[in-house]
Amino acid sequence: MPQIRQISSLATPNAQVAAATKPRRFKYLNAPLMIIVALLTIYGLVVVYSAVSTNSQYNFSRQLMGVALGVVLMVLLFRYDYHQLSHYMTFFLILNVVLILMPHLPLIGMSANGATSWVRIGPLSFQPGEFAKISVILLAASVMQRYGGHLDDPREYLKTLVIMLIPFLCIMTQPDLGTGLVYLFIDAVALITGGANKKFLWITLAVFVGGVVALFTLDPILDQIAGHDVLIKDYQKARLLVFLDNSYDPTGDGYNLQQAKIAIGSGGLFGKGLMNAQQSTLGYLPESATDFIFCVLAEEFGFFGALALLVLYALLIWQCYRVAYNANDLFGAVIVMCVCGMWLFQILENIGMDIGLMPITGIPLPFVSFGSSFMIVNFIMLGFIGSVWAHNRR
Amino acid sequence: MLQAILAALATVAAIIVVVAIVVHRRHRNDNEMHVHPQNMNSIKTFGVSAQGKPASTTPRVKPDQVSGSVPGESMHGRFLAFGVFAAAVFGTLGARLWSMQVLQYDDYRQRSNENLYTTIYTPAPRGIIYDADGRALVQNRTNYVALASSDVANNHDVVLRLSGLLGIPYEVVRQRILDTTTGTQSNRVVADNLSMRNVSYLVEHADAFPGVTTQLRTERSYPYDALAAHVLGYTGTVSDDDLQNQSEGQNYQSGDVVGRSGVEATYEDVLAGDHGTRVVLADANGDVQQVISETDPTRGNDLYLTIKAPVQYAADRALADLLAPDGRFGAGDGTGGCVVCLDARDGGVVALSSCPTFSPSTFTGGVSQDVWDAFNTDESQYPLMDRVVSGTYPAASTFKAFSALAALTDGVATAQSTYNCTGVWYGFGEDYPHRCLREGGHGTLNLQQGIANSCDIVFYNIAKSFWDQRDTLGQDALQDFIEKYGFGQQEGIDLSGEAAGRVPTPEWKANYFRDEPEEGQWVGGDMSNMIIGQGYTLVTPLQIACGYAGIATGTIYRPHLMKEVHNSLGQTVLSYNAQVNYEPDVEQQYLDLVRNGLRDVITVNTAEMGDLGQQSFTVAGKTGTAEVANKDDYAWFVCYAPADNPRYVVACLIEQGVYPGTSAIPVAGTVLKAAMASDDGTVDQNIQPITSSYTYVTYTSSSSNSRSD
Repeated sequence: MPQIRQISSLATPNAQVAAATKPRRFKYLNAPLMIIVALLTIYGLVVVYSAVSTNSQYNFSRQLMGVALGVVLMVLLFRYDYHQLSHYMTFFLILNVVLILMPHLPLIGMSANGATSWVRIGPLSFQPGEFAKISVILLAASVMQRYGGHLDDPREYLKTLVIMLIPFLCIMTQPDLGTGLVYLFIDAVALITGGANKKFLWITLAVFVGGVVALFTLDPILDQIAGHDVLIKDYQKARLLVFLDNSYDPTGDGYNLQQAKIAIGSGGLFGKGLMNAQQSTLGYLPESATDFIFCVLAEEFGFFGALALLVLYALLIWQCYRVAYNANDLFGAVIVMCVCGMWLFQILENIGMDIGLMPITGIPLPFVSFGSSFMIVNFIMLGFIGSVWAHNRR
Repeated sequence: MLQAILAALATVAAIIVVVAIVVHRRHRNDNEMHVHPQNMNSIKTFGVSAQGKPASTTPRVKPDQVSGSVPGESMHGRFLAFGVFAAAVFGTLGARLWSMQVLQYDDYRQRSNENLYTTIYTPAPRGIIYDADGRALVQNRTNYVALASSDVANNHDVVLRLSGLLGIPYEVVRQRILDTTTGTQSNRVVADNLSMRNVSYLVEHADAFPGVTTQLRTERSYPYDALAAHVLGYTGTVSDDDLQNQSEGQNYQSGDVVGRSGVEATYEDVLAGDHGTRVVLADANGDVQQVISETDPTRGNDLYLTIKAPVQYAADRALADLLAPDGRFGAGDGTGGCVVCLDARDGGVVALSSCPTFSPSTFTGGVSQDVWDAFNTDESQYPLMDRVVSGTYPAASTFKAFSALAALTDGVATAQSTYNCTGVWYGFGEDYPHRCLREGGHGTLNLQQGIANSCDIVFYNIAKSFWDQRDTLGQDALQDFIEKYGFGQQEGIDLSGEAAGRVPTPEWKANYFRDEPEEGQWVGGDMSNMIIGQGYTLVTPLQIACGYAGIATGTIYRPHLMKEVHNSLGQTVLSYNAQVNYEPDVEQQYLDLVRNGLRDVITVNTAEMGDLGQQSFTVAGKTGTAEVANKDDYAWFVCYAPADNPRYVVACLIEQGVYPGTSAIPVAGTVLKAAMASDDGTVDQNIQPITSSYTYVTYTSSSSNSRSD
């Protein structure tokens, strides 16, 4: 470790010390991060606009409102000192349970596509499961910060696991496996970056893999006993079959994947041009504004357009990563890493399913997919990252 | 493989970049750690509490304290792992996108186009089929049909409305919608030949008729109904097999009409037109968004046949009058028959008729299974079978002309040879009496008289000579000669289903009876049977006609129906060039002897020949009475005229006609006279439609009777 240089005179401090202590010009504004987010959001809005312009089912101004509301919330959060939140673990736990179970309430709960995941209050309708991603991250971070980076007691580790699993179990009552997997990935990132014992982590991974294997082994047996689908639903099996063999049932269960791949592949190097995503405008590609928005982007802007998006994402992750790396408390670092992890997982899953690398699930693409709840949530996450950055002066 | 390597390379590159950046930053942090926030805090504190004091006791920050207080430092390995994971994710996604959008672009682009662009084919009318003088035998007509999808059958209201509009009983409409004979997927024809009034009503009130559409079809129409049915053949809708096994240059689409038999099938490639195409941009529901390009259909080429409609009409009429005098088949003499008239000078088929016949229009737009089954029963006598080319029969006495030529050529008989016919012949021993048709015998005859009187015993003697000299002439001497006239082989006419017939040889017989070697012995009786066209000998009426053309002119041309092909602009694009099938090498004096014998047939048998002897032209011919197991005798007559300069040869066979004089001779005579009259323009040009002598209706009524019994 290098020795710190002596300060010879307080009147003329060392230039480096001066640079380090110099107040920021914009105290709460991480300019590079904001530029990246602005570019990403604009890019996403353009693509969503072209995807929804021929589809009266979607309302583009709703998406704009989502962005506007999200930006306001984000700026407000910049000034808020996140440190205070680290003591509210129990509150986050209760908030999670309440949020995620909300759609089950009579009068305000709604079911769509076989899942009870929407809530409607007056003119407002939203997915509380999306908002719960924030509280899941805060819960995980507040749990981990209690151990100060040294979670080495097996009993405490187990307790942590149980607390973290509660949101997942709640979301599976809707059921919404896609969002549930996002929660699990957030928890995994929290455990790893929060300093859980390596041995425990490996054991957890082994148990998880074993559990998945057991699930697939037991499922047919249970199905036979019960006479109907118990654990894995038919449509989920079909999606797995399609994932394992991309050419499986191209006009039925494999249709979406086939059309998604055709849309992306036919984009070529430079794409077919804005508003010219024929696969989606002519109705061959379903859910083009939400789950399959990347296909529209890749068809319209080609390989370079897709690469530009990936670069923007990589820069976003990189900037957030820097914030986390330089945060001076574990709570802040874990929050930022969890957000990074969540985005990374969603990017991997959403783009990966379009190109046949991942099984198909309904996970949206951050800052791009249509959905105002999702937009607001992403900006709130950015607000927390900004807060962590602003309250950790260099 | 390539993309996998690229993906791996990209991933590795991304990992290296990330690791390099992380290591670089870490290195920089190590060197410049003095600006770390923690350090600054302590410096600040120090500065405040120890003012003015010299900086000799500057505290050092313990390394573990520094790293322990900043999670980014203490969890360095884990943060690094996260960075590697992120790099791997972006690397993999990027590599995969490169492979799909750049390397496999062409493939995906093509599949995208297949999605978006649909080619709609409009059927092209088939070419028209004309006779030699340009009279249309098959035409096209437009037909509006009402189609309904199968689920309409369950929609009571729609069926009721259709029934009311079209004037068809409710149950009949429903039955037609449920009929699956044209395929389970296709729309069912509810009614055809719709009036324009009904078509416009259906189109204007489309919402009251969900699942019902109208379609304009081009169909075959037959102005003379069953005239020349076996020549023309019938058409059908293209089958799934056809669609899957298309040869080069063919482009059949579902619903297309293709030739199934006759010249419709043989000249399918000539008659079929080129589809009109419309390339359209369609959405996922199949709704057309934009028409990209459009071409009009081109009508197929027109086919001109060698058939002369007046002669053909005479042939069809003569057979129908003989076999189905009251319009119903089976009421007259004989159970079936056929007649063919060839132009002996080039092999062109002037008339070809087979009875019972059928109406090709029965098959237009698809034939139901019931009708198809009815056409293929013993009771119906197989109307679809073309007896001229596919029927094989014992040649009987018509064979004697060839036997006589063989005998003369091989030296077994001469013009001066005489034979004594007593009515019975014991040449192959007392146990094997051979009888002549005339019970009392013909007395003493030479070869020419033997032909004229059709004396079997003359030919039994010749057979015995062949048999006795088999060691010097060879066992197959007679067969070898007969095959020079085309027997035992296909003539190569441009119709499908041609039979080869059979000229039996010792080898053939041994093989045929290989399971019973005793039966397979070649004996003298086989020779005496063959020489009079009986036994194992089988010929088609076409072979007999061709063989006699060979005797009449010395040359056998390949029989053919195609004369010319005109394209849709009327230009002649193809003309048939006569091809020689056989040119038997026979001495002129022998030919003259046989020709004289055939000419004498007409004069010797005056009673049977009717007015054939009193024509302005001389006729030569030969009768035959074929014995068929368990059947009445089949009657043959083959003739040609003019005898001294032959133009036409006619062969006629009547199944179970018994006496040629009352069956085959009048039919063949009528055809021959019509053919001769067609040359000098005196033939009757008034051609009426021929009704199918056999109809589905008569069959179903009789079968329903037998069912109720």
